[in-house]
Amino acid sequence: MDISYKEKSAWISLVSTVLIFGYYLISLTGLSDLPPEEGKTQALWLLGQTLLLTVIVEAVFHAMLAASNRRDAELDGDERDQWIALKANQAGYRVLVTVIWVVLGRMVILEFNPQFADENSSIYVPMLTVHLLMFGFIFSEVVRFGSQIWQYRREAFGD
Amino acid sequence: MTDYQIVNRVRELRFFADEMTQQALAEQVGVTRQTIMAIEKGKYSPSLEVAFKIAQVFGQPLERVFQYVPGQ
Repeated sequence: MDISYKEKSAWISLVSTVLIFGYYLISLTGLSDLPPEEGKTQALWLLGQTLLLTVIVEAVFHAMLAASNRRDAELDGDERDQWIALKANQAGYRVLVTVIWVVLGRMVILEFNPQFADENSSIYVPMLTVHLLMFGFIFSEVVRFGSQIWQYRREAFGD
Repeated sequence: MTDYQIVNRVRELRFFADEMTQQALAEQVGVTRQTIMAIEKGKYSPSLEVAFKIAQVFGQPLERVFQYVPGQ
């Protein structure tokens, strides 16, 4: 299979994002049993760990990719790569904006209906708004990388 | 209204340029080999700058490399 440097980079980002934040999501569900204050501390710690792990994994794998494709890494994509990245950014942006509107709506509803607050919920997740925004951002990134890969593959295999 | 499409003779011109490789053309033009491949397949229409550079590599006027013709 003929894969360009930028497509390999998109694959690395997609796979690492899905794996790391999949682990994050699973770990997060385990925090609902903890007392609220301890849950908040653990959730914050988990968020920090996940972000750090993402930075390390992305940096290591992209450095390995650049070392094995030195010439392509120096070119750092051409006008077609930029065009594909632009289209993918549009797709990711739409998802991000949608999530932000949903979270804003939730915040307004909670402001006027305190009985729906997280503390009164049967499934309590510490810092739920932060996690919703985080997952919205991650989901938009997944859509962005997925859109990039889809466009590269579409060009490789036809419409 | 007739739909038009951009077609090109890049593959043919590479053949007549002593079977120039896609990689060699890509390096001279400053794009990736996959972009040359996409242009040849008609999957990607290059910018004017890249189109002029491709024509320059083969020593041909632009309209002999790229044509805007009625589609099927």
